[in-house]
Amino acid sequence: MEKAGIPVVQITAVTPVARMVGSNRVIQGHGIVHPLGDADLPPEEEKELRRQLVQQALEALKREVKS
Amino acid sequence: MRLTLALHPVTGLEFADATRLDGTRLQVDREELRQLLLKDRRLQSVDLETVCPGESSRVGDIFDILEPRAKEPGSGADFPGILGPYVLAGQGTTHVLRGSAVTVLDEGLPRAGGKLLEMGGEAGAATPYGALHHLVIIPHGVPGLPRHAFQNALRLASVTASVYLARAAVRRVPATIEVFDLEGPQVGGREGLLRAAFIGQIHGHQHGGEADEHILYGSNTQGMIPVPLHPNEWLDGAVVLSYWNNHNEETYFYQNHPVILELYRRHQAGELTFVGSIATVAASLEEERDRNCMVAAHLAKWTLGADVVLLTKYGGGAPHADMGLTARLCETMGMRTVVAVTGSAGDSQAESALLFNYPEVDAIVHVGGNGIKWAVGRPERVFAGTPEAAEALATLREVSASRVCGVANAQGASKVSITVY
Amino acid sequence: MRVVHYLNQFFGGVGGEEKAGTSLEVHSGALGPGRVLEQALGEGFQVVQTLVCGDNYAVENMDELSVRVLEMVRSAKADLFVAGPCFNAGRYGVAAGALCAAVQAELGIPAVTAMVPENPGVDLYRQELYIVDSGSNVAAMRDVVARMAHISLKLVRQEPIGRPSEEGYISRGILRDELVERTAAARMADMVLAKANEEPFESELPVTVFPPVPAPPPVRDMSRAIIAVVTDGGLVPLGNPDHIPLSAATIWGSYSVAGIDNLEGGNYEVAHRGYDTRHVLEDPNRLVPLDVLRELERAGVIGKLYEEFLSTSGLGNPLGNSRRLGREMAQKLKGVVDAVILTST
Repeated sequence: MEKAGIPVVQITAVTPVARMVGSNRVIQGHGIVHPLGDADLPPEEEKELRRQLVQQALEALKREVKS
Repeated sequence: MRLTLALHPVTGLEFADATRLDGTRLQVDREELRQLLLKDRRLQSVDLETVCPGESSRVGDIFDILEPRAKEPGSGADFPGILGPYVLAGQGTTHVLRGSAVTVLDEGLPRAGGKLLEMGGEAGAATPYGALHHLVIIPHGVPGLPRHAFQNALRLASVTASVYLARAAVRRVPATIEVFDLEGPQVGGREGLLRAAFIGQIHGHQHGGEADEHILYGSNTQGMIPVPLHPNEWLDGAVVLSYWNNHNEETYFYQNHPVILELYRRHQAGELTFVGSIATVAASLEEERDRNCMVAAHLAKWTLGADVVLLTKYGGGAPHADMGLTARLCETMGMRTVVAVTGSAGDSQAESALLFNYPEVDAIVHVGGNGIKWAVGRPERVFAGTPEAAEALATLREVSASRVCGVANAQGASKVSITVY
Repeated sequence: MRVVHYLNQFFGGVGGEEKAGTSLEVHSGALGPGRVLEQALGEGFQVVQTLVCGDNYAVENMDELSVRVLEMVRSAKADLFVAGPCFNAGRYGVAAGALCAAVQAELGIPAVTAMVPENPGVDLYRQELYIVDSGSNVAAMRDVVARMAHISLKLVRQEPIGRPSEEGYISRGILRDELVERTAAARMADMVLAKANEEPFESELPVTVFPPVPAPPPVRDMSRAIIAVVTDGGLVPLGNPDHIPLSAATIWGSYSVAGIDNLEGGNYEVAHRGYDTRHVLEDPNRLVPLDVLRELERAGVIGKLYEEFLSTSGLGNPLGNSRRLGREMAQKLKGVVDAVILTST
């Protein structure tokens, strides 16, 4: 998709693989089984974690990246 | 630490009125074993069958395969943490029914798409399991049993039957003995030899884990950081397969760990010094991965003093990333590494095959599996967890080597390799 | 055996860079390197036709050139198509690769070319073709053509082709499983000892190098941006309406979230068997964070959430396949959304 000019931010728990294949904007997700959640947290805290990850992702989309 | 394996060869397996070793024929009292396994109230019935080398037999889906072993009384515990009390595994004498196996089926995988045992044809000739006498155990759970409870029952049945059979050999004179004796990292008098360590994954947390799941000394490995093990501990029941068991690993090849046995041989031949091993897990969380890889590499360097490190992975694709990162950290710390990878992509293209790319991690062994398929016919005997699975197995036209237990074994037994054309 | 040979304007004797715009010319018989080729192939082989084209003309008119070359090779009743050797010449290498690939695919006859491994034609066509490693020394033409002839003869005679290092072609990156005598453990020990002793060793798999993808410009004004969510974690509506395979998915789906503020567990399933999916089934927002994106949309932090999310299964997926899925998704989203959040398991 980036080859088509669409900026992409990838949220993943396995960031080495994402970087290896050339993903330019990578955010570390919270585990393979739930990149945007944490089953061990109470629902409100879990949602806050998700909010933070999504906001980090949006910030990354706003930043200039040198490939 | 010194472990003596008392080897009792098995060249025949049959049901009889008592369980005993008659020369090299293993006779099993089917009813007695059945009643022993049915003490676990989670099982409503247990079928027992025998499958022997040269037969036209197909068996699936496989939960696990073990080598029947029992500790000499007074010299330790069988499967400590699962069956026995916490006694360090890897010491004293263990009786081994060499040439036989306990093979447990999982009826909870009714579609028969998983691992199988193939005794006949080219597939049977290509797996070390094709040369073994298998006692096949088919447990049936009571209705409504949660999946993890059934898996726990399968695990207990597997180790219980393994010890039960091998007790037939206790107090008998073994045909041969093998001694596994390593001093550990402090060994002296071997100047000039490279010091070799083994780092093996025993689970991958992308598949979670169950509270009652037994993997390392009965623990489920949740929250585990890498831990040094004496190589004898792997060989003597400290480690069993996790419930994420549909890849190319079995407990049999922990008990007969190909990398550990290879390093022992070369140690004894004076080619290198085998300094020890480390058990680790592939992570689900990134911080867990970073921590485990770092700790494993540091243990190899500072606890074991290794010069070279051999690494294996567990399960499917993602654990490659953990193995690759660990190897890279080892390289950065001045140790030379080799890793064993498994087939992860279906397109036979080299570019899809790796889930890491570090220029330093350039010594890669591939255990293959996806690229070999054998045409198979209807076997004479089929054993499966359910009638549907049996029918699916009976009518298979083709099997991939990756499905046949023992062929593309990821623990190091594989005699398949990959060549890039 | 009838051979058709393709050359660029330089090796075809038309001229240098100033003639790179020359269109396709047809000569009967061998020309330049073609004469060497004819000799190397030996008795029974004849270069019946030489096609010469300028490098610029070729790459600028590739489709048209392919059609014409295919027609000529067909009417020449050729048994073999050879292009080059191209050495370092990038445009020449790309054209030679494209024509060989077209001839091989459309006409079913063997096609062989040669160039340096760094030639862009290699990256594009190595998987389909036998490309001989030419080295960059044009003076070694005779050796290079001899290696091309060697592979050509094997292909024409349908003899098995050995390893790249034995046969002199550039690795096609195709993995073949082979039964061997020694266990993986023994091979590991050998390899690591050789490596530590700084002796030569051959890895069973080369380390893959991925070319970097240029980063698209950032989102200037997030408060007006349309954002789409794409996941390779396999989230699909209950019943998996598009039947996305659980592994090595060849297709993807796009599912409406119009009017939905929160993904409810009971309405979705996961087409992916590479991870423990219970947590996502319980709360799909853990994979597709719809709940917080809706809040951010309402608060004006993002302009708008795209009305569908795109999903496939990333498990065990060959890269060629993943690239196609990505291209298809990009086609749908390009010009429609300003940025994508990709969530991966």
